[in-house]
Amino acid sequence: MQLKKLNTAFIVTTGVSVLVFIYLVFLGYDEIKTLKDVVKIIASILFPIPLLFFVRFLLIEHFLPQNTDEYKLKHQKPATILLVVSIVIGVASMQAVEWITGQKLEDHLIFAHLINSTTISSYVLNYILYNNLRVNGILSGVLLSLAIHVFL
Amino acid sequence: MNPIIQPPKPRSNSNKRELLFTFQSIIVTALLAFTTIAFFFYYDLPVVNGIKIIFAPFLSVVPLLFILSILRDLRQGFKEGNYTKDEIIKFCLITVGITLAFTGITYLLSEIKALEILLAAIMAILSAVFFLKSKIKDILGMSIITGIAEGIIVYMIFLF
Repeated sequence: MQLKKLNTAFIVTTGVSVLVFIYLVFLGYDEIKTLKDVVKIIASILFPIPLLFFVRFLLIEHFLPQNTDEYKLKHQKPATILLVVSIVIGVASMQAVEWITGQKLEDHLIFAHLINSTTISSYVLNYILYNNLRVNGILSGVLLSLAIHVFL
Repeated sequence: MNPIIQPPKPRSNSNKRELLFTFQSIIVTALLAFTTIAFFFYYDLPVVNGIKIIFAPFLSVVPLLFILSILRDLRQGFKEGNYTKDEIIKFCLITVGITLAFTGITYLLSEIKALEILLAAIMAILSAVFFLKSKIKDILGMSIITGIAEGIIVYMIFLF
């Protein structure tokens, strides 16, 4: 029964990520000018899907930790630390790259899409399938830092 | 005791792996079709010789069918249990290598200036994928197919 649930979760993950990407593409609609842009966006959307399949192929035996209070308590602190650290590293490195190359991330929407699609799909996959709190912290940090960076 | 209320037989891990493998090969096929269409429209490829387009697929499909018919299965099939850490690292490296190789191959495909040659090349890759799909049903086949897919995508994102 557990296994069946896991497989459903996997399909849901892929579906949700595809939906989110389509939404993001429509947000950046103004940027799409030529066929090349369309091809690039489709490619960056598809990027995580073969990887997801490959990871699932390797880790077919799920190792779902029991979501007990004890488990949560034990991983609370490292997960929070990882979250803060990855936000700081994410924002700092993105600022550094922009400062070095002298270009804005907004002008290169493909990279934003790429980071977003990869992180969101691994985030949802981790959240539903493996429930690893530390990984959850890192991925949340990356997503948050991307959001902060684009927002500022 | 009570054979009517037997629980349905749970699907084994190797079955699920096979399913994932099938999905992955469908994705690769779709990506190859996508590549052909993108290159065709973007580079405005001319059709130099119409008769060649009809015969382009035969170049690789005929040998594929022949090989498939005479060859036995090369691999054991999918494993039931987990892979060890060494195996995972090894096959991840293989995947990365194939990804790099296929980024290069897609670049070579973009240099082709006539539709019939592009079609022949794509059909050759497709035949290779089908060969892997039907004969090398293993983690090796899976990592090669993942590498092909990622290579095409990486080319499309960064170099196209």
